[in-house]
Amino acid sequence: MSVLPLTAAQSGMWFAQALDPLSPAQNTAECLRIDGPLDPERFADALRRVADEAEALRVRVEDTPDGPVQHVSEVIELPLTVRESDTEAEAEAWMRADLAEPFDLASGPLFRHALFQVGADRWLWYQCVHHLVMDGYGYSLLVRRTAEVYSALVRGEEPAPRGFGHLADLVADDTAYRESAAFEADRAHWAAAFADRPEAPRLAGRGALPSRTFLRRTTHLSPGTTERLKDLATRLRATWPDVLIAAQALYTARATARTDVVLGLPMMGRMGSVALRVPGMVMNVLPLRLAVSPEETFAELVRRVVLGIREIRRHQRYRYEDIRRDLGLLGESRALVGPLVNVMPFDYDVDFAGAPARAWNLSAGPVDDLTVNVYDRADGRGLRIDHDGNPALYEDSDLTAHQERFLDLLDRLAGTDPQQPLAVHTVATPVEVGLVVDEFNRTERALPPTTLIGPIEARAARTPDATALVLGDTALTYAELNTRANRLARHLQTLGARPGAVVAVSVPRSVDLVVSLLAVLKAGAAYLPLDPDYPARRLAYMLGDAAPVCAVTDRVGRLPDDTGTEVVVLDGLDVSSYAWTNPARALTPAHPAYVIYTSGSTGRPKGVVVPHRAIDNRLRWMQHAYGLTAGDRVLQKTPSSFDVSVWEFFWPLREGATLVVAEPGGHKDPIYLARLIREQAVTTCHFVPSMLQVFLGAPEAAGCAEALRRVFCSGEALPRETASAFARALPGVELHNLYGPTEAAVDVTYHACDPADRGPVPIGRPVWNTRLYVLDAALQPCPPGVPGELYLAGAQLADGYLGRPELTAARFVADPFGPAGTRMYRTGDLARWTEKGEVEYLGRTDHQVKLRGQRIELGEVEAALAARPGVDAACALVHDDRLIGYVTGGADPAGVRAALARELPEHMVPAAVVALDAFPLSPNGKLDRRGLPAPVFTGGAGGRPYASAREEALTGLFAEVLDVEGIGPDDAFFDLGGTSLLAVRLVGRVREEFGAELTIGSLFEAPTPAALAARLDAAAPAAGDALGVVLPLRTEGDRTPLFGVHPAGGLAWCYAGLTARLGPQQPVYGLQARGLTGDEALPRTLQQEAEDYAERIREIQPHGPYRLLGWSVGGVLAHTVAVLLQEAGEEVELLALLDAFPSEQWRERPAPEEGDALTAVLRMAGFDRTGERTREDVLATLRRAGSPLAGLTDRTLSRIVDIVPNHARMMREHEHRPYDGDVLFFTAAAPRAESWLTRESWRPYVTGALDNHDLDCTHPQLMRDRYLDDIAAVLAARLKELDA
Amino acid sequence: MTLTVERIRTDVADCLGEDPTDIPVDENLIDHGLDSVRIMTLLERWRREHAVTASFADLAERPALDAWASLLGAV
Repeated sequence: MSVLPLTAAQSGMWFAQALDPLSPAQNTAECLRIDGPLDPERFADALRRVADEAEALRVRVEDTPDGPVQHVSEVIELPLTVRESDTEAEAEAWMRADLAEPFDLASGPLFRHALFQVGADRWLWYQCVHHLVMDGYGYSLLVRRTAEVYSALVRGEEPAPRGFGHLADLVADDTAYRESAAFEADRAHWAAAFADRPEAPRLAGRGALPSRTFLRRTTHLSPGTTERLKDLATRLRATWPDVLIAAQALYTARATARTDVVLGLPMMGRMGSVALRVPGMVMNVLPLRLAVSPEETFAELVRRVVLGIREIRRHQRYRYEDIRRDLGLLGESRALVGPLVNVMPFDYDVDFAGAPARAWNLSAGPVDDLTVNVYDRADGRGLRIDHDGNPALYEDSDLTAHQERFLDLLDRLAGTDPQQPLAVHTVATPVEVGLVVDEFNRTERALPPTTLIGPIEARAARTPDATALVLGDTALTYAELNTRANRLARHLQTLGARPGAVVAVSVPRSVDLVVSLLAVLKAGAAYLPLDPDYPARRLAYMLGDAAPVCAVTDRVGRLPDDTGTEVVVLDGLDVSSYAWTNPARALTPAHPAYVIYTSGSTGRPKGVVVPHRAIDNRLRWMQHAYGLTAGDRVLQKTPSSFDVSVWEFFWPLREGATLVVAEPGGHKDPIYLARLIREQAVTTCHFVPSMLQVFLGAPEAAGCAEALRRVFCSGEALPRETASAFARALPGVELHNLYGPTEAAVDVTYHACDPADRGPVPIGRPVWNTRLYVLDAALQPCPPGVPGELYLAGAQLADGYLGRPELTAARFVADPFGPAGTRMYRTGDLARWTEKGEVEYLGRTDHQVKLRGQRIELGEVEAALAARPGVDAACALVHDDRLIGYVTGGADPAGVRAALARELPEHMVPAAVVALDAFPLSPNGKLDRRGLPAPVFTGGAGGRPYASAREEALTGLFAEVLDVEGIGPDDAFFDLGGTSLLAVRLVGRVREEFGAELTIGSLFEAPTPAALAARLDAAAPAAGDALGVVLPLRTEGDRTPLFGVHPAGGLAWCYAGLTARLGPQQPVYGLQARGLTGDEALPRTLQQEAEDYAERIREIQPHGPYRLLGWSVGGVLAHTVAVLLQEAGEEVELLALLDAFPSEQWRERPAPEEGDALTAVLRMAGFDRTGERTREDVLATLRRAGSPLAGLTDRTLSRIVDIVPNHARMMREHEHRPYDGDVLFFTAAAPRAESWLTRESWRPYVTGALDNHDLDCTHPQLMRDRYLDDIAAVLAARLKELDA
Repeated sequence: MTLTVERIRTDVADCLGEDPTDIPVDENLIDHGLDSVRIMTLLERWRREHAVTASFADLAERPALDAWASLLGAV
């Protein structure tokens, strides 16, 4: 027995097996069908002799401390199974089962034989060998030798002593190579050839680890096609494998939407070597890199294959595993090659004592991705082609599709002049072309020739009294809205507004905005929305570029005044003299309806002109698909400069539904939106997916399920996780994913999300009168599953770009599949068809990006960067959802960023600008975007000391959420790389740490730790500095203040949540017990306490009417204060009691013990006391809940321990006097231990009505968010009535 | 029909797409673009037309005209 190290080739196999010892993936097998008589005894004898000759078959591999070694045994027992009464099917089943049995490398033998008699003169010889010891060529050596030995034995002769070479020779050869200069040269060759690490073209669109098994689909190329291909090869001075490889390169390039493809070529690796006579494992896989472009001819492609293979062959001994390792391309996500083309032209021309044999392969080894095995057995059946696929990546149907298309392509290549450009070939079969071009696009629908505005006017005439629009307190009927818009329209007409003209509208979201848009349309003109938040320079550019006849704004100074555009200022404009009726205009569906600017790659934004018929088609389809009714309420929250707003504004007004308009800025605040949706019973709204994710992250979102019927998503890819989260948070609400560029009237595809679906969310099917084409680089249709660029055609296409005929011609091109003269729009989006006729969005073909739904051409950002003085060169990219700019030259990056903020809309301003000495370049001299450093965000100042502990803590939270060091209290969140998603995280952390409710909007308004601390101080004072008798919860606001009296524990902090919900105009003050700080004496009676509070209230608000509120003991006190104020001759207009009960209800009940102070503290935070025994337990509960009460000092807690029983005592002694007026009452209606408590006992002390509202919660839970929502809603409505 | 040296040279030149006079007698044909597929193609042709019994390994071991001539007994 001899011991040898493994060759490099074997080592690769050994490691692969060691990763998964029970995997049969490395089993190779083939079967020979022998037609004729066979003597099984002699055959076994021949096998035994061949095993004696072939050292590789006697190998087993042992792992030693120095690595694996191979032991070559002198003799082994032949592993042979003979079965003489199986059918062919039974024999094949047996083989498949055997193939699934892994070998044990350490024990061996590493091969198995079986012989089946499946007919009178028909035998099957099966051999299965581990790939570590045998490759395809090795099989051919074994088969030839077995045939030779058997035939000699049958003749009664001793076989010729024609021995195999030795394994030791292979090992020595391998060692010599690895120590040679050639090895180093080969390494350098491969490292240089793939230095830019091209992405492997993967037909499945992704990678996976090899599976234990593979899928196989076998077919034959017809003898005719085979002959034609061989003729073609000869004419091109190539071999038929060269032609097949070229065909596969063409197929792969088109099917993966790439022009640079790398195929894997298994090479026998034995030419001119001792290995020619050694059965063993020698083969290697080498990468063949080919450029495939539609303009080239097939002849040229074949030529490059021939030259490429010749080049490869010079470096073919360098191992595939080593190339991948050198390039760092290991693992499932980093591949070097796409499909393998495995041509096996091995010498199988044998017979067994005259009986002819035909071999077929059963397994050619592990399949990483897809392997196309091609065999030429020269038996007149043409080429056999196996498509082997990794089942982790392919289904049987995928393999079938790839194979059928490949054969179809081969057939067409064989019959086409090879000097024709490759563009003439599609990779789709004719059936597939019919499917994707016609079948999936059957959307024709005859529609009346209407406009965007016509149906709105018709609706206003039909339902004049229905509510058209709601914004805050304002509601307009259809008639009112129509009248206002008509008058303004007539005014605009006097200024030149007419069909074909453009009128700019720069008005923040408001009733006036809706009126203005309608007025422009009614005048017949196209509206141009100008976001009032855009920088002046951009507004000026758009006004100059679009040359509107006038611009409508809400107030003076909104628009730059040096543009020469006539400005219509709504503030102070009187149009009442104009007629209220619909104005006349010569408007047709071909006239433009609106012009919306989008980012332009060359640095200039471009105005997209959309005609009436396009948007009319879109809205008619939408109504057909989703059926809005008069009962629907549609939320308008999308900025008017974003085309989603078009359907938000106008769809409901065409259908008699109500438009619910959000406050300006409200679209960024999920908590506000949730409240708005709930309060306004919104049934229909839109979210950009990233905002939907933010919205669903807010606990308030779940409360919208009742009102909402359907939510639309568009603007960016909708992740499945978001769709699933939606289904969980809002069960029963429909979620629709729509897609479309501004250039095609908002949306052109639609898909209804199903909670049961998995995988990517499709963008769906085409809408009415719309055709989608997914085309490859040759503008040939891509079959289902194959990515290509998405083109759009049909009724919804925009006219083009305003004043940019060349750009329009470049993006709106002739539709080769439609009637003559029709156009299609090139989206730049990568997409693919599903089998079902839906489209999946895959990404971009260019440098356009979407950030939070906003379309950004990186080129425009780069142009703006490069235009700054001191910037030599610039580039921009998106990193971790943040836009980053890179510049070279001497400019100060912070200055560059600040300059951009004055020029570009907020979403286009980089979160950071990074200065570099030079840009990283790829080996071919192009900018290597992957080589750009990730930005490091750091705080600026940090110099000044913290003003408060809260400021310091907030600075810490900023650093944690942003993952940035060195932040100071004056650094702004969004300057440090903050995004709206990170803002949600920060708001969540603030809630956890401080128990304070912040809105996302407040972070925009107060973006630094210092500003935020000030805001929090105002909203919910920090522990320690909020123990005074008067707690100013909100001092600003122009409404009458609301005074809230503390519960038993003496603190009024519990009203902070209510304060947040009552809006910024409502001042709120808390009244707190004396004695929380210092050594003040506790009051002796409630009457005395109430008198104190009444005086404090009058210090803030000297005279009525007063508004009072109290929870629990606080309600009793509030009632008493109200009585005192009335007795002093003041008016009390609101007394709200939150689950508070008069003294006599308590009088006969025992007073609580001192220890119940802890219970009271918990109750103030909204909890019943459960397992908490000690003060520490209580504080732990408060901390877990994020309650600010967790920050109470020991001293304060010990005072509360006195305050609680003092209140219990005073309550029992108090005598009520009657209050003159109504009481607003909130009952915690869940069953309680004190079942005897009843609000009816207030009757003797309230002259007016007891307006009760039951809440399904316990007494302590009343102050929890979800119940506060309800209380605040009732309270807000009452306050509003009082204000009115 | 026996295989001649000239037949070998012509067939090799044919499958390499070159002129027979450009095929040297004693040089390694791999350097002239000969590969395993072409060797198999030649071998199949010679087996069919000239009853050659050599194996692929025999030819691939020393891929040159003179070596093949002596291996195949060509005259």
